[in-house]
Amino acid sequence: MAEVIHLNYQLLQIISRFGIQLGFGDRSIKQVCREYNIDVNFFLEIINSYHDKNYFPRKNLQGFPLKLIIEYLRESHNYYLEIKIPQIEQLIRQLSEFSDRISGESLRMIDTFFHGYIKELQDHIEREEEKVYPYVFSVEEAFHLKKIPDSLVERLGEYSIDDFESEHDNIEDKLFDLKNIIIKYLPLPVDPNLCHAILTELFRLEADLNDHARIEDKVLVPKVRFMEKWINEHHAQ
Amino acid sequence: MENVNVIIADLSPLSRFGMISLLRQLNYPFSFREVSVPEKLKNIIHKDQASLVISSASFLEKFSDYQIQTMLPGGKYVAKLLINDLPHSQRKFTGFNEIIEFTDTERTILRKLNKTAASLARLNSFQVMPEEISDREKDVLRLVALGNTNKEIAGKLFISSHTVITHRKNITAKLGIKTIAGLTIYALLNKLITSEEIN
Repeated sequence: MAEVIHLNYQLLQIISRFGIQLGFGDRSIKQVCREYNIDVNFFLEIINSYHDKNYFPRKNLQGFPLKLIIEYLRESHNYYLEIKIPQIEQLIRQLSEFSDRISGESLRMIDTFFHGYIKELQDHIEREEEKVYPYVFSVEEAFHLKKIPDSLVERLGEYSIDDFESEHDNIEDKLFDLKNIIIKYLPLPVDPNLCHAILTELFRLEADLNDHARIEDKVLVPKVRFMEKWINEHHAQ
Repeated sequence: MENVNVIIADLSPLSRFGMISLLRQLNYPFSFREVSVPEKLKNIIHKDQASLVISSASFLEKFSDYQIQTMLPGGKYVAKLLINDLPHSQRKFTGFNEIIEFTDTERTILRKLNKTAASLARLNSFQVMPEEISDREKDVLRLVALGNTNKEIAGKLFISSHTVITHRKNITAKLGIKTIAGLTIYALLNKLITSEEIN
């Protein structure tokens, strides 16, 4: 497991999402996963797809139970909201605190802007966790038990996973703007090191969110769509 | 100088060949692309990145003004010429740099073509300069930042909503900022608006 981190330290944040803590000595991936009760194949597919952008085992990932996939997506959400966002928030606050009065005012606007972004991200995540995931689980349950409750059929008529995909709003736009404002338009004097730190974090967050969205769009959505199709066909009979 | 891509959109082969032979008399490195089917124009314009589009009125007749405006490339580095082969039609086409009458003499046509090509060549050599937003774009940006809708902006600046949309597209392309909240910060940082105005 230590080798994984030596190979690509960016995977640290993924490993921590699985609940794995440092200090695993020379134990192998398999041993560590067993200890933490983690499906080792799922773990390997996830870290490999983060490590190598060209490696995306769509079919393999779709083969895992939804529970595993969603648990992982939930952990990522927690990571964004509990760790990453507060970190960036603090850096941005520092930016306005340590500058003079005149540029301080415009830097506080960056602060406000970032809070607007956080609000959108929170809303987005809340909708997924409270509306989309429960729906997905009820679809999976019906599929596996081969028993379709009427309430689900009714719900399917109103809402399907395709709606989720189309609702998938573009919260990336605000992140994109924030990067450009800091890179191109921030008035001097600002602490350059602080700006670099903020930008690095924003780029990382963006890359992470893109990987996250890739799992939703290419693994979760097709898997659910397949089961919805089955339900629709078998209900009609 | 790089090649200038010219799209000749005309139903009549006589017209197309005639226009090409006239353009060849001018001393510009043109490369030509002919379009004879109106439905194909949009795709070809997207693909070819034309700097000069020459189209006849009969070719464009079936499209609405709005369709033409969105189909033809915009910006000051592109020139659009109309060949008015429907002199008796009520339809007035707008947005063209020059109109060539079907009855114009060879000399007149060459003069019009030359004028357009010369201004294109001049503009394209300046193209490497960084793009700044124009005064008009600043007006639009100010109103966007203050929370106006496209319709309200159109009313305040006495322009059409389509023009407002075009300005907004250009502003976003030039500044690299997509959201209204982001544009507001840009406007504040550049003192186009004050924080009191927002509140």
